[in-house]
Amino acid sequence: METSFAITGKGYVIVAADTTASRSIVKMKVDEDKIKTLSPHLLMAYSGEPGDTMQFAEYVERNIRLYQIRNLYALRPSAAASWIRRSLAESIRSRKPYAVNLLLGGYDTATHTPHLYWVDYLGTMTEVPFGAHGYGSYFALSLLDRYHDPEASLEEGLATLKRCIEEVSKRLVVAPGNYKVKVVDKNGVREVEL
Amino acid sequence: MNTFADRFSTTTAASQLRHAQKLAEEEEFDATMWGSSAGFGSLTKGVPTFTVPAVPDPTAFLRLHTDDHADPSCRIKIKHGTTTLAFRFQGGVIVAVDSRATAGSYIASGTVKKVIEINPYLLGTMAGGAADCQFWETYLGMHCRLHELRNRERISVSAASKYLSNLVYSYKGMGLSMGTMICGWDKTGPAVFYVDSDGTRLKGDLFAVGSGSTFAYGVLDQGYRWDLTDEEAQELGRRSIYAAGHRDAFSGNTCNLYHVKEAGWTFLGNYDISQMHYEGPGDVPGAPGGGYGYDIRVEGRNSSDPPEEAAAA
Amino acid sequence: MSRSYDRALTVFSPDGHLFQVEYALEAVRKGTCAVGVRGKDVVVLGVEKKSVLQLQDPRTVRKVVMLDDHICLAFAGLTADGRVLIDKARIECQSHRLTVEDPVTVEYITRHIAGIQQRYTQSGGVRPFGISTLIIGFDPHDNRPRLYQTEPSGIYSAWKANAIGRSSKTVREFLEKNHKDDLSREESIKLTVKSLLEVVQTGAKNIEISVMEGYGKVTNLELSEIEAIVSEIEREKEAEAERKRSRLAATAAGQAAMASRAADTQAG
Repeated sequence: METSFAITGKGYVIVAADTTASRSIVKMKVDEDKIKTLSPHLLMAYSGEPGDTMQFAEYVERNIRLYQIRNLYALRPSAAASWIRRSLAESIRSRKPYAVNLLLGGYDTATHTPHLYWVDYLGTMTEVPFGAHGYGSYFALSLLDRYHDPEASLEEGLATLKRCIEEVSKRLVVAPGNYKVKVVDKNGVREVEL
Repeated sequence: MNTFADRFSTTTAASQLRHAQKLAEEEEFDATMWGSSAGFGSLTKGVPTFTVPAVPDPTAFLRLHTDDHADPSCRIKIKHGTTTLAFRFQGGVIVAVDSRATAGSYIASGTVKKVIEINPYLLGTMAGGAADCQFWETYLGMHCRLHELRNRERISVSAASKYLSNLVYSYKGMGLSMGTMICGWDKTGPAVFYVDSDGTRLKGDLFAVGSGSTFAYGVLDQGYRWDLTDEEAQELGRRSIYAAGHRDAFSGNTCNLYHVKEAGWTFLGNYDISQMHYEGPGDVPGAPGGGYGYDIRVEGRNSSDPPEEAAAA
Repeated sequence: MSRSYDRALTVFSPDGHLFQVEYALEAVRKGTCAVGVRGKDVVVLGVEKKSVLQLQDPRTVRKVVMLDDHICLAFAGLTADGRVLIDKARIECQSHRLTVEDPVTVEYITRHIAGIQQRYTQSGGVRPFGISTLIIGFDPHDNRPRLYQTEPSGIYSAWKANAIGRSSKTVREFLEKNHKDDLSREESIKLTVKSLLEVVQTGAKNIEISVMEGYGKVTNLELSEIEAIVSEIEREKEAEAERKRSRLAATAAGQAAMASRAADTQAG
């Protein structure tokens, strides 16, 4: 089942999401990228109702890009998160709401601080030091309460992420096989291999 | 009372929608009139609509008349059983489908064309509602042609599939039922996209859709390589559909096989699944000779392992 | 619908002109000059910058804008109209990516912009856009540079090199004389600057140059770079003038010599 994690550390945010796209009991695809790069310093992991996820993610992606082209600079993570939350909050009150849950990880180049936002389809948003969606969260959150370190180096952060992934594969019946992991820091966005 | 409140309040979703529609009408000329909006009409205006039943909740109405689990005597039967597959390899795209249409436990037809020839270089497959697939994929063909005329180049497979995906997404929750693969060859080479009525759209190398898809995957995944030769690939497609036709009660009769190459698609043939079981597909490139059926394949061999003296005696 | 006819401003004159559109073209002719030059695998946009007032922030005045990663636009005419049209085009660029996944082609966005301009010549209650645009860029999966022009009437066309705005006729004639196929990067930039200098008297500080060298590869030249090119052009002009002068002097001297020889023979 769909699972995503995100962890902040000293000057970075790691965002990880599984890569399977399934329909009933069949995995239709095993290398789907569910983390969008919205701007040079902003990542968004999305999960939820098939169809809605892609439509919403692409809608957000294009609007954030449009902002950047219009203003010649990108939205800061907090502003982007607020805009996205509002889109979801308006959507839930519409005739056809998007059922999409998000993890937004960004690096604010103005204050040199990483930010992580946990957003759900109801329009709830909260800034967190770490977050997770899906069945994986039932295992990972307690683990992160125990092991998360806000000043962890990237290596330590990735090690903690590995703990989460390993715990989920060990205990969750329908654990996903592969994850895509991306990091955002002062240098921008990059993908990392675990 | 509700409708009355709706009409005169300014905050409900309905009034918002009305307001949006009014704004849209202000623009007296549609963007498509000068061939713009990606040639498809802008997103804000949505896609062309057809009339839905004039009842308060069209979705529930449709479910009432199509849900054959709850009510086997419902009016509209939607075709469910199918096996379709498509995969991308070095030599293009192979598309293979079965030809059985079932309505409940009854085989309604054994000669259904489940590959929809959108245009000479695009194919769509049909699983789920036959009418939905047939109508919307033909409609897609129309728009692909318009795109061609407006932009003086062939539409990419990605754009065509995206158009279909946006289209069915706009009807999400209203009872459309389709699971289709859009296959073709464009500037980027061979391409396969899976599009379904949930609004999911996936780019990939290999897909199978329908009740028999699991059986097809079993053979397909094991035999699949990027560098298959044309003959091997065609044989793999045929054999996978055979496997599903044999094991899945709702799939069967015959297999239709297509190969998409750079110059467009070609129809390779129609193969009887029973015949493939007993005799094989006949004299076609890639066929191993002999039937695909397990009993035929292993005829005369068994697993008994007697001690040598017993065998000699 | 009553509003369909009684609000129209753009109506034909008895001899078949749309005066509002022609006035819009007049507004374009009053605007600052913009030049586009297509080279072998490069395309250059040059614009004449109005001198900013002493207390004005020059960064807020932009005449060359990005529509998307791979497309640049320059316009001549009413700046305020330009802003509106540019915003519509930018939205379309993103909307196109959303619906078709691919970025727009240069021709597509040109057609879209021209389409909007045309619509404003045929709708009630509106006036045409008082701008012409030059659009440069590269298509996705393609390495040929593109240059297009649109006009207030909604006409669009492709060019090897073209100019719009103030004195565009002079500049176009200059380009017609000096443009060659397969210009290199340096030659294209130089031709652009040279042609702009036909109308910009104040030199480098009032010129802005954008160079596109491939899909998404755009650079705006620094003032110092433009100054270097301008002074190079001036040097060449000087040398040319010098050569001309000396040639003229030589011929004059030759003629004088011949005349004196003739006089000598007569005398002899």
